Amino acid sequence: MRVLVVENERKTASFVRKALQEEGFAVEVLDNGDAVLPLVSSTQFDVLVLDIMLPGRDGLSVVRQLRERRIKIPVMLLTARGEVNEKVEGLNAGADDYLAKPFALAELVARVRALGRRGGDTGAILLRLADLSLDTVNHRAERAGNPIDLAPREYRLLEFLMRSAGQVCARMAIVEKVWGYDFDPGTNLVDVYIMRLREKVDAGHERKLLHTVRGVGYVMKEMTP
Amino acid sequence: MTIGTRLTLWYSFVLLLALVVLGGGMYYELVVERDETKAAGRPREPEGEEISEVVFFYAVPAVIVTLVGGWWLMRKALSPISTLTRAVERISANNLKERLNRSGNGDELDRLTDVFNTMVAGLESSFTREREFTIHASHELKTPLTIMRGQIETALREDALTEPQREILSSQLDEIQRLAGIVDSLFLLAKADAGLVELRRESIAWHELVQEVAADAELLGASQQLKIRAGQVEPVTVSGDRHRIRQLLLAITDNAVRYNQPGGFVEYRLLKEPGHAVLTVANSGPGISLEGLARVFDRFYRGDPARGRAVEGSGLGLSIAQWIAHSHGGTIKIESNVGSSTTVTIRLPVGV
Repeated sequence: MRVLVVENERKTASFVRKALQEEGFAVEVLDNGDAVLPLVSSTQFDVLVLDIMLPGRDGLSVVRQLRERRIKIPVMLLTARGEVNEKVEGLNAGADDYLAKPFALAELVARVRALGRRGGDTGAILLRLADLSLDTVNHRAERAGNPIDLAPREYRLLEFLMRSAGQVCARMAIVEKVWGYDFDPGTNLVDVYIMRLREKVDAGHERKLLHTVRGVGYVMKEMTP
Repeated sequence: MTIGTRLTLWYSFVLLLALVVLGGGMYYELVVERDETKAAGRPREPEGEEISEVVFFYAVPAVIVTLVGGWWLMRKALSPISTLTRAVERISANNLKERLNRSGNGDELDRLTDVFNTMVAGLESSFTREREFTIHASHELKTPLTIMRGQIETALREDALTEPQREILSSQLDEIQRLAGIVDSLFLLAKADAGLVELRRESIAWHELVQEVAADAELLGASQQLKIRAGQVEPVTVSGDRHRIRQLLLAITDNAVRYNQPGGFVEYRLLKEPGHAVLTVANSGPGISLEGLARVFDRFYRGDPARGRAVEGSGLGLSIAQWIAHSHGGTIKIESNVGSSTTVTIRLPVGV
């Protein structure tokens, strides 16, 4: 998969490039907005990671320009402002996703990967991870054949984590997707729910599936004990 | 011509009119009528009667002419002021680009219009500067945070790290996130001060949000075995920005849970009063001293230092809560009995 990163801050561009390359993506970096359209028109990219504040053409107007020319490349906007209005503005301009700085690197990687295979996986009905299964139609969860009783929000949290199994879910992403809040609630609500969920899903099982990624968020994956 | 000159000229015209009425009456009564009686050979009316006729039939209409004229004059004089007031009312933080039209006759109101336009232009440029400052400052602070966070995460991917090194880096990640949260809150407040935060108004079932947050409190307080009670919660609709109202509720709830004691309680009550929805959140916290209460909405105020409790938080939650309540036309107040309980009361105007 080929990713174009447009970010004029050298150090940020450098670790983003490194992280994406470690995932096996081919990465190219640009440091201004004016050069995006010529490059995207001549070379095939799967995902565009675009900072909003750029020298030359700013990120928002780059997206508008691309969409006007019917260039459908998935675009992830990066912004230092992180305001609700700006997010709405970005998505209206035609961006597909939006990440506020300072972002978790693991989350950027996960979202870029999701954008890259957009359209590929339509939401599965039965999610499985090791001996845990989640029926997304009847909202039923089972671990090793034993049903797990979940409150509605616990269910939404588990579904979100299982749909992104193997990828780190940042706390803010969880707050957005599971609670629908656009702001940092400033409480440890997410951690409390994760603790609950962990008790229901992992307690009494040797193989733990729900893991904490310190300073970033949570991930569901199978780890050999 | 100034308003003063114009008014004087118009008023002398009105007075002249009144004088003509009065003078005409007197002339008729004292000259024309006397001649007529003389010609008809009737005896002359006594002078006292003539004078009272003049007063009743001509002075009273003359007074009425002055009254009506004066009233009309005042209306005419004040109407440009009401036009100006309506124009001024249209100008708010959102359309500072608008300017008032001058009438062009060079009077005091034209000068007022000029002064007002100059003031709005000044406001507009300071709003623009404030907005740009906020954007730039936010960018300048977040860029280093982004780099620090990204580089630490990159470093943590190295397998060669020792456990103590990993621990230090992880703890730095936590701190960077905390700092990022504080930066966000500070900018929200800075923008709120400058009137730059837009609220998206909609009808909100206040009682539903209260019940939702009470359920969250249940979980947040589970580790301290807090009892969460939703007492009387009456259905009531308020108008406001759903995200902000939730943020307000969460900030209050978070405090009520954090500053509490094991086995304590948090109680929600929502009452409908004429025109207002009144929410009280009471808890069995350690209470806040009087000096503390006076400063509790101050930014970065973190409770009485003497108590020295290790409670996490930025000290900005209540400042933000206060801004949200005020920006929705409501109020928030905190009462406390040291050692037993604290009650937060939020009054919001009822919406449609």
